[in-house]
Amino acid sequence: MDCADVRDDRLDVLYGEAGADALRRVETHHARCATCREEFDALRGVRRSLGAWRLPAASAEWTGRARRQSPLVGLAAAAGLVLALGGAVRLAGVSFEVAGGPVRFRIGMPDASAQVAELKAAHRNELAKLEAQIAEVQARPAALEVERESALLERVQKMLDERDSRQLQQVDGRVQTLTARAEAQRRYDLARISAGLSYLDGKTGQHAARTTELMGYMLQASEKR
Amino acid sequence: MGPTDEDLVAAVQAGDVSAFDVLVRRWDRKIQGAAFRVLGSPDEARDVSQEAFMKAFRALRGFKQEARFSSWLYQIAMNVCRDKLRRRRGREHLSLDTVVEGGEPALHQRAVADQVVHSGDLARAVAAAIETLPQEQREVVVLKEYEGLTFPEISEILGVPLSTVKTRLYRALSQLRIELERQGVGIKEMTYGLR
Repeated sequence: MDCADVRDDRLDVLYGEAGADALRRVETHHARCATCREEFDALRGVRRSLGAWRLPAASAEWTGRARRQSPLVGLAAAAGLVLALGGAVRLAGVSFEVAGGPVRFRIGMPDASAQVAELKAAHRNELAKLEAQIAEVQARPAALEVERESALLERVQKMLDERDSRQLQQVDGRVQTLTARAEAQRRYDLARISAGLSYLDGKTGQHAARTTELMGYMLQASEKR
Repeated sequence: MGPTDEDLVAAVQAGDVSAFDVLVRRWDRKIQGAAFRVLGSPDEARDVSQEAFMKAFRALRGFKQEARFSSWLYQIAMNVCRDKLRRRRGREHLSLDTVVEGGEPALHQRAVADQVVHSGDLARAVAAAIETLPQEQREVVVLKEYEGLTFPEISEILGVPLSTVKTRLYRALSQLRIELERQGVGIKEMTYGLR
């Protein structure tokens, strides 16, 4: 067996994943190929050296931040930070001013009591609005229910009327069709009877003429005698 | 014995988000370790781990459990590592990955390697030698040697045939042998460690 043929088997043996057949193939090959045997030993040595590279010990730098932070925690922390920052900016009374010069920003509360009163008033307004909304929502269901039911009944009635109307139209249409067909049939039958009578009339007329003619001949003959 | 990865994945899929935290605690260090060895930077390794878990979380609903969760996670992490290396390549004029398979290592790496040999630190010599490997070979060495995955698992993670995995590993080990010898770590040292 060629050296290249046992290369994959050698890797399996090197990492302890070889089956009995692969192991036998490698052993057989190594028994007669010093180069491969030597290379195998060298690769074993490389593996031992690789084992020397360990991850940094569980230092704060390596594990601290990462262990504390799962992605979800990270997201939550980021959101919290943004909220906190926003709140801090609001509470600190940061203001930006552009008054005929460079942009300035101010941190602090120039008139704290006035701002507190303003905030309280704003909160009261918001609360009143919310309460009104809640009352509206609470009052809504019964009225809505009635509205819904009457609307539903109306729709059902309308649908029933529409159905009745459709059915009447269909019946009318069928009656008209039948009447037209019956009329046509009657006319056709009358025409046939009329034609039959005419035929009979014709036949009767000829017969009478012949009888009259025969009678005339018989009279003439009797007079001659 | 705690719940298996499969149990936890099923729990997350059923809406129990806290089960994902258990998965993160279970696999974070392994993923970070693999990323660190591929990228060589603890900061980037942390980023990779975070990004891999974020991607896994977003895609978990569609995860069918046909593959093992850990294999899937390694796969995501390796893809993130590749993205980072690609971006790094764009930034660096002389990249670690300019070394082509079987080619000569970059000049600055030789300097690092020489420094390592003088320091007499086998671990650093190994780290420097692994840095000289092309990315594809480095991934296989990390997954096989340090993560202890089987050849079929690595094949699944990297999406390449088993024979390709073995070829890459064989070339990587051969290259590492040469590189370590070049650094002054001979067979004897490889076997018994630096003295």
